[in-house]
Amino acid sequence: MTKIIEPDKRTNIFRRPSSEYGFWSWVTTVDHKKIGIMYGYAAFFFLLVGGLEALILRIQLAQPDSSFLSAAEYNAMFTMHGTTMVFLAIMPISAAFFNYLLPLQIGARDVAFPRLNALSFWLWVAGGLFLYSTFIFGTAGAPEGGYLAEEVGWLGNAPSGGWFGYQPNAGFKYSPGTAMDYWAIGLQILGISSLVSAFNFIVTILNMRTKGMRLMRMPVFTWMTFAVAFLLAFSLPIIAIALFYVTFDRQFGTSFFLTEGGGDPILWQHLFWLFGHPEVYILILPAFGIVSEILPTFSRKPLFGYAAIVFAGFGIAFVGFGVWAHHMFASAISPVAQAGFGLSTMVIAVPTGVKIFNWLGTIWGGKLNLKTPMLFALGFIGMFVIGGLSGVTHSIVPADTQQTDTYYIVAHFHYVLFGGALFGIFGGLYYWFPKVWGKMYNETLGQIHFWLMTIGMNLTFGPMHWLGLQGQVRRTWVYAEETNLGFWNLIVTIGAFILGLSIIVFMANWIYSKRKGEKAPFDPWDARTIEWTIPSPTPVWNFSKAPDIKSLDDFWHAKYDEDEEGRAVRKDTADALLLELEEEGLNPKEVIELPNPSYFPIILAFGLPFLGYAVIYRSISLALAGIVLLLVGSFGWAIEPLEEEFSMKEEEE
Amino acid sequence: MSTDHKEHPTPKKYVQIAIVLGVLTALEVTLYYLEDLVGVFTDSLLIFLAVGKYVIVVGWFMHLRFENKMVNRFFAGGMILALILFAIVMLERGMANFFYS
Amino acid sequence: MSSGHEYPHESTGVETRKLGMWVFLSTEVLFFGTLITTFLLFKGRNFPGIKLTDVYDIPFTSISSFILLMSSLTMVLAHNALENEDQEKTRVWLLATAMLGAIFLAGQIYEFTEFYHKGFELSTNIFSSTFYVLTGFHGLHVFIGVVFLIALWAIGQRQQGLSLDRGIILNS
Repeated sequence: MTKIIEPDKRTNIFRRPSSEYGFWSWVTTVDHKKIGIMYGYAAFFFLLVGGLEALILRIQLAQPDSSFLSAAEYNAMFTMHGTTMVFLAIMPISAAFFNYLLPLQIGARDVAFPRLNALSFWLWVAGGLFLYSTFIFGTAGAPEGGYLAEEVGWLGNAPSGGWFGYQPNAGFKYSPGTAMDYWAIGLQILGISSLVSAFNFIVTILNMRTKGMRLMRMPVFTWMTFAVAFLLAFSLPIIAIALFYVTFDRQFGTSFFLTEGGGDPILWQHLFWLFGHPEVYILILPAFGIVSEILPTFSRKPLFGYAAIVFAGFGIAFVGFGVWAHHMFASAISPVAQAGFGLSTMVIAVPTGVKIFNWLGTIWGGKLNLKTPMLFALGFIGMFVIGGLSGVTHSIVPADTQQTDTYYIVAHFHYVLFGGALFGIFGGLYYWFPKVWGKMYNETLGQIHFWLMTIGMNLTFGPMHWLGLQGQVRRTWVYAEETNLGFWNLIVTIGAFILGLSIIVFMANWIYSKRKGEKAPFDPWDARTIEWTIPSPTPVWNFSKAPDIKSLDDFWHAKYDEDEEGRAVRKDTADALLLELEEEGLNPKEVIELPNPSYFPIILAFGLPFLGYAVIYRSISLALAGIVLLLVGSFGWAIEPLEEEFSMKEEEE
Repeated sequence: MSTDHKEHPTPKKYVQIAIVLGVLTALEVTLYYLEDLVGVFTDSLLIFLAVGKYVIVVGWFMHLRFENKMVNRFFAGGMILALILFAIVMLERGMANFFYS
Repeated sequence: MSSGHEYPHESTGVETRKLGMWVFLSTEVLFFGTLITTFLLFKGRNFPGIKLTDVYDIPFTSISSFILLMSSLTMVLAHNALENEDQEKTRVWLLATAMLGAIFLAGQIYEFTEFYHKGFELSTNIFSSTFYVLTGFHGLHVFIGVVFLIALWAIGQRQQGLSLDRGIILNS
């Protein structure tokens, strides 16, 4: 029986695009799975770029008194490394997971607003390209009496104010070129992208759940997506305004953050970190969710304390809004604030600890299956705890005034972001690989990747703890021979290159397995959540018919009963059920209507970079071009017909 | 396809609400002229009146009062979060000026 | 979105698009909250240069503020008319809302031009910057609103009509 796709043939100017395959199908897609895949590949590309920037930094720091990079170039590299990793690598890889998995985990066909979803993606692409166009069009500019412009190669024509852009250093006086404008405006566009997807996910989780999928039956990954969406929604508007203030200060003569005009540089710090701290929870919560899916599956036990993990996740999100000034202990904030924020920072360790103990409780007594996803999940727990412990030491204000701006802090956040977020993400990439591609990855290569990465990671970031305490300062392009910091810095650089090697192993595994991997069954891990009840690779319509959920871990309970001692006993009907699901999953009996593709999200998205260039170069024509794109995009979107949808029908032969 | 057909105020009710809003605006303007009388309380009273108008517009004109509880809580949550965060920022800047200026 | 009858469309009972709009609005609270906080922090920092109190015209601003407030009345009347499926009335009230908004904007442009001529401009001092950015963003929102309202009015005339459920009913 063949499937026929019949787009509605109404002919008016707003007829929607109808390609199923090929280049245009990707450009106009609103399918959450395609969008997730695009996010994933693009974000991985930027992960490599950010990694390259890190390696360049490490080459400079491998030896004392090195002149591989000039100061200006060094500053540009660490700024771009941080900005890229946060906004162009970790956030969008998490977005890839949210996009692909969320509808599958709640039993939906797509998200609440499919075109808005596409808009988020294209806005992100537009923002990322705009930011990186600084290397082509941007200028570093030399402040009067500052370090010399002539030393700046093209590598230095990038934002150099740190990923946090502290004022007035990142203002027009000390960063007179256009590079920091690329930063401020680029981040603005990226912020809008994430804000839009936050709305989408909140409404999707609230409204698009399948029958019986009560909130407390949702998988933990879905819950963490929900928490992240809240964090994004309420923190991004603050930095949007702050970035407007930066652009106005740099371009239009205001002085929001400049003392000589009556402004306040600490205000920038407040506004930035009001966003910046929730941001780091945005970076880690998806990994928490992924790990909460992997551990039960590979321990063959239910998640210990599901409700506690859910509430702890929201506890972290909520308290996460109340700790921001711990990034400002050494700035001129009042002692009362220092005390208050020190306290709240200690408090946030509590729900985090709850989660850790629950994960340990999940593993305890389980029958562990040490495949690659599980290795990364276990590694996550170890590395994240180390990072978390150093984090708690920062909450003690007097201690932090010694630690701040040293490599001790760099060690902390790389343990939680690399050993935490990135390990979780790699675990997830391996875990869901079979679902997305229909093939199994190579387990041996996966193991090699894991061990190389763990060794590399600890070699790179471990020594940074004592380097920092010995006095190596952050964001400084060179250190003197007399400091005796050379030996461990060399080890760190070697570790960084081992990390690079491990990534190459990962990429080799990916490319090989996608081509030659063993065909994957649709439930290769004997998993618990409903995304495993549909065929691998996922059919475009997701579920043939809406699943009816009877409990948490519904799929598991369909396959297993419990004996008197609470152990899982496979039901006799389990195998038959799997066959039935497979048959049903590939052959939907009813007509399924899917949301139509659209040209307008990408059109609208690319209006914003035009406006960005218009502001920097004071070009009315560029501004008009941008406005036209925005108008065409939004009006086309509003007017194009909603009713025409694809029909997937079975043609009886 | 709307699943919620909540009761809406009638046009007459809307006009009445608009008159109330007009009166509040007139009060605000009057306060400006009476500033010398009211003194320090001017700012707080003006903010109070503005908040009152905001609540009326959001609650009745934008229909939030009649919506599902969850929507109400969501919006209120955002407001409370904003109030707390910005109060802390303002307090901190005020105290820093006190300690360090 | 799928209209498959087997799919429960709204797990919460609140219409999806309405829910989306309220989620967006609660984030706008933080957006304007930041602007207002900055305003409150920098209020009174009138150095160097002109104070706002030297240039403003309270009667004028009050009338213009009142006009905008009345546009919120005409907006709900438009919504009310649409609920009763009265296309003609809906368009009248939509146009009225747009007109009132446009008058407000015209008033604001006039006022700001006056301020500018008296020396109170964007970069005069930190307070003036905050003032203009705050009222400017507000004005931008009003402007976008006016554009969308006129668009709805025009589309409502040329196409088959407007509807609460489907937005625009196209001629087809």
